[in-house]
Amino acid sequence: MAEKAKDKTYRLHLMVCAGTGCVSNHSYEIKEALEKEIKKHGLENEVTVVPTGCNGFCERGPILVVQPGNIFYQQLAVKDVPHLVEEHFLKGRLVSKFMYTPPEEKKPVPVLNDIPFFKKQVLIALRNRGLIDPEKIDESIARDGYKALVKALTEMTPDKIITEITLSGLRGRGGAGFPTGLKWQLVRNAASSNGGGKYIVCNGDEGDPGAFMDRSILEADPHAVIEGMVIGAKAIGATAGFVYVRNEYPLAVQRLSIALDQARDYGLLGSDILGTGFDFDIQIKRGAGAFVCGEETALMASIEGRLGEPRPRPPYPAQSGLWGKPTCINNVETWANVPMIINRGAKWYAGIGTETSKGTKVFSLVGKINNTGLVEVPMGISLREIIYDIGGGIPGGKAFKAVQTGGPSGGCIPREKIDLPIDYESLTEAGSMMGSGGMVIMDQDTCMVDIARYFLSFTHEESCGKCTPCREGTKAMLDILTRITAGKGTEEDIGLLQDLALSIKDSALCGLGKTAPNPVLTTLRYFRDEYEAHIRTKKCPAHVCRQLNIYTINPETCVKVGRGCDVCRRNCASDAITGQKNEAHVIDRAKCIKCGVCFDVCNFGAVKVD
Amino acid sequence: MVNLTIDGKQIQVEESATILQAAKKAEAKIPTLCYHPVVEPYAACRVCMVEVSLKGKADLVTSCNTKVQEGMDVQTNSERALRARRLNVEMLLARAPAAEPLRQIAKELGIKKTRFAVKDPEEKCILCGLCVRACEQIVGASAISFIERGTERKVSTPFGEPSEACIGCTACAYFCPTGAITCEDKYGRKVIHEEMYLGPTTAIRVPSRQAVPMVPFIDKEACIHFKTGECKICAKVCDREAVNYEMDDTLRDLEVGSIILASGFKPFDARRIPAYGYGRFPNIITAMEFERLVNASGPTGGKVLMANGEEPKAVGIIHCVGSRDENYNAYCSRVCCMYSLKFAHLLGEKTKATIYDFYVDMRCFGKGYEEFYHRLLKEGTKFIRGRVSEINDLALTEKEEGKLIIRVEDTLIGTVRRIPVDMAILAVGLEPSVDHNQLAKKFNISCSQDTFFLERHPKLAPVSSFTDGIFLAGTCQGPKDIPDTVAQAGAAVSEALALADAGKVELEPITAEIDDELCSGCQICVGLCPFTSITYDKDKGISVINDALCKGCGTCVAACPSGASQQKHFRDAQIFAEIEGILLV
Repeated sequence: MAEKAKDKTYRLHLMVCAGTGCVSNHSYEIKEALEKEIKKHGLENEVTVVPTGCNGFCERGPILVVQPGNIFYQQLAVKDVPHLVEEHFLKGRLVSKFMYTPPEEKKPVPVLNDIPFFKKQVLIALRNRGLIDPEKIDESIARDGYKALVKALTEMTPDKIITEITLSGLRGRGGAGFPTGLKWQLVRNAASSNGGGKYIVCNGDEGDPGAFMDRSILEADPHAVIEGMVIGAKAIGATAGFVYVRNEYPLAVQRLSIALDQARDYGLLGSDILGTGFDFDIQIKRGAGAFVCGEETALMASIEGRLGEPRPRPPYPAQSGLWGKPTCINNVETWANVPMIINRGAKWYAGIGTETSKGTKVFSLVGKINNTGLVEVPMGISLREIIYDIGGGIPGGKAFKAVQTGGPSGGCIPREKIDLPIDYESLTEAGSMMGSGGMVIMDQDTCMVDIARYFLSFTHEESCGKCTPCREGTKAMLDILTRITAGKGTEEDIGLLQDLALSIKDSALCGLGKTAPNPVLTTLRYFRDEYEAHIRTKKCPAHVCRQLNIYTINPETCVKVGRGCDVCRRNCASDAITGQKNEAHVIDRAKCIKCGVCFDVCNFGAVKVD
Repeated sequence: MVNLTIDGKQIQVEESATILQAAKKAEAKIPTLCYHPVVEPYAACRVCMVEVSLKGKADLVTSCNTKVQEGMDVQTNSERALRARRLNVEMLLARAPAAEPLRQIAKELGIKKTRFAVKDPEEKCILCGLCVRACEQIVGASAISFIERGTERKVSTPFGEPSEACIGCTACAYFCPTGAITCEDKYGRKVIHEEMYLGPTTAIRVPSRQAVPMVPFIDKEACIHFKTGECKICAKVCDREAVNYEMDDTLRDLEVGSIILASGFKPFDARRIPAYGYGRFPNIITAMEFERLVNASGPTGGKVLMANGEEPKAVGIIHCVGSRDENYNAYCSRVCCMYSLKFAHLLGEKTKATIYDFYVDMRCFGKGYEEFYHRLLKEGTKFIRGRVSEINDLALTEKEEGKLIIRVEDTLIGTVRRIPVDMAILAVGLEPSVDHNQLAKKFNISCSQDTFFLERHPKLAPVSSFTDGIFLAGTCQGPKDIPDTVAQAGAAVSEALALADAGKVELEPITAEIDDELCSGCQICVGLCPFTSITYDKDKGISVINDALCKGCGTCVAACPSGASQQKHFRDAQIFAEIEGILLV
């Protein structure tokens, strides 16, 4: 191990982001171009290129961070590579044109830590992102990887491990926030029927639209998850573990299986781990991508090879899980937190966060926000800090309207609550939930009824169909919402929607159904006026529901500014626009199918929408 | 035991009970759809939701799978529970508007019409999963499952193809509460009309209504448990725990002093006369089938119906089917005339049909029999003397369309007639039972020319066989009716009792004996002895005679090549001496 680590030293390490986002932005081509260029200049013994996991600042990909120095280059293209190599790596001059300039500043910021996006983040689960090659265990070990495992296996008793986790205040990062230490204790205490054996499961069936935290952790630092699971196995007395990953995450599966092989090679997994006599091994189970399989009982059914649908609880998995044995299921992020708690102690971890929610949480920032990406922030941070300080605010200077947290199970939190400190309780209080950490930012141009309809269409598609409220109820709510967005809603619809939502929340079988009405309930709570506008005045205030829009052309603007450019007429799909060049164009309302193409193509703002 | 309150009623139930079971005890009615006591609860329909308060926390739970807990306060009809129940039923009603149990619950909850979009007004499936669970948990076949997701969910075999795992038990259709699953298979059973079968319908049954003892048994051929190892549903529902799957047929050896053979008869197989069309035309039935048909506990409840469920307008009864016929059995079966007359009488009583009776000779020999025949003549039965040559459906006239045509030579008027009828009853004769020949071999009983068992003497020993202690009773000895059978059986029992009462057996004084010195062990005598009294002693290498069995017939004596077998009192020397004496005079 030691030999391998010191086989070569380099002057510069070029950390190329190889997260899924940057890879699809051609970061592997950039890596090859860099290597070629470095060779051309004869620097191959001084400079090395390292592909890393997701850096987090996906908006700015492909990303290159130069170590030491933490110099942050962004939005690189293959053609930029020769210039960059010559200037920076050969001549030692930083290239400012590839650096990031925050919107409110004029000068580019060269050092990663000085960039506002990174400044307020606290990295625990994502501690190794952008710093190691996830396919090399040595690099993980160099960053204290498996140190906690050694400690847990050689110095700690199972009870002590559980006490440590309990004291740290770690709660399940999958969304529901069940205290992890308590769950471990329950599984440890559970008497295993029919011949012993307990199981550990890592839930990596991340399915929320716009969420990619688990994927990122598995791709950037699979060893953190493996290490966490081995420690957990020691604590509860499990002999086998499963990582349930969606098959749509091929890179995560690939890196995880490489990591598992390497860990086995190093004696950190398998039989007689580190010579302590402790046996534990992990298998990867690939899910077919059903959203409901993220629900723990459905997930277990899927691992067992049965139909992936939930069953009633109790019995909880801690009592009777996989094949009837006590089973401890935690989310990817939860497992990734464990080694840090063991390494640095419960006290340190409990020092971060709020009264009830300790530590950090990874969020994926998506939607109408400048800095799309993955962030890890301490619990208790306000939405405002995430959206404006880290996220860089709303693009185009538009007004922030709401943030949707917790995926399709969560709800929409309005502008008035922007100073809400984020923790499990406050989000639930606001009608939403922590969820796995998706954060969809919405601006003034978002129609909240349409958003509710979108999330309902998702849960309706993904409902397994076992229980009546979820199967029929999501369909019924979706029908009503579709009706409202098409301008055919009635006054009774809001009442019926509310009734349905409450009843489904009350009576559905599993978490999917119980939380499916949340987007409807929160939008009804905070944006009832928008529903009423759709129903009473048949108007969509955000002009998103096109069936409710009325398109007109301002003749003055059309002639004076656009000189009757005729683009709208040529693009109109239903021949509803008449007019000739240099003349004002007119839309025939009877023919207009409200597709909105004229509005989109008019370069002079002559097409108006009401 | 656990104490809880249901709708304000304090009750005590077992710890393992569910709220639903407890509610039943408290006489609180909770509607259910996906629940069935013999399969695992599924908690999918969400109709049985009740509000439970425990430790200050109120929650809605499904009563079918939630276990009771100490101090629970259950409200089966709280506002919250009713809202959820009503909406769930209303939504289900949009899915399956034709499901009767669902409509019933909706009616009880005051739901007249669903507010949600109905996709198919004929749909019956409520996706309760009872069929799927029955197939998996009861039958153990797992031939069907749910496919697709969400509103597209449905029950299917893999890829919608006929499943190899399906054993055709139709448990799915049986468990389906709404009739969404139906089965059309008639299982190769003879169908009288659509729903009713002649013959067994379930794996557990009593052999017949008249069975003694009246105890049900499990038919291993039809039982799911003996096919898949699962099910055992009868054991689950039997409170007396009387079902035993390990119980097997056992063979028991009994030592007895005498044996009465009463192995009965089998009806003549009417298929052997192709011209009579039995098996080809559904409305040609045998006498046994007609007996079952008119029986009040039979498949039609005693009504005489044709295959299409209608009452026949004309019925023909054909005598001497397989009897008094050189091609089949030359003997008269003796009972057919009288039971045919009985049928004619019953038909007249139960239907308005014209009854034709085709006879060869009317043999009404018993007490009151002739009088019965005369009564039938008065009742209007049309008697036609002559042997039926053929029954077919080849109509020559319009009147004969759709009828069975009975062709017969009416010997009283000397012409060939065609009689159109709707139903024909074949008065099949009697033949020795199926295992008659094996029995004959086993008990060493001779058979007469008509293949029935031969009695020792037609007049002096009509119930005895040639073997002492073995008696004959009933139709195994020859065709006879019930009074004759009862009389003969009584006589056989008396003979057997007389033996038992005496406590001793009288032996023939004149028996054969084998001289050990002379016997060469050739065993010729063993096969020849008609009374199986000679056995071969392997150790000594000689044949041995059982004195109790030997009747002194002398067969062995005549056959013995070495002169070892000698008849007592008739030894060679004695016979020679007698001959000598005669010759001397």
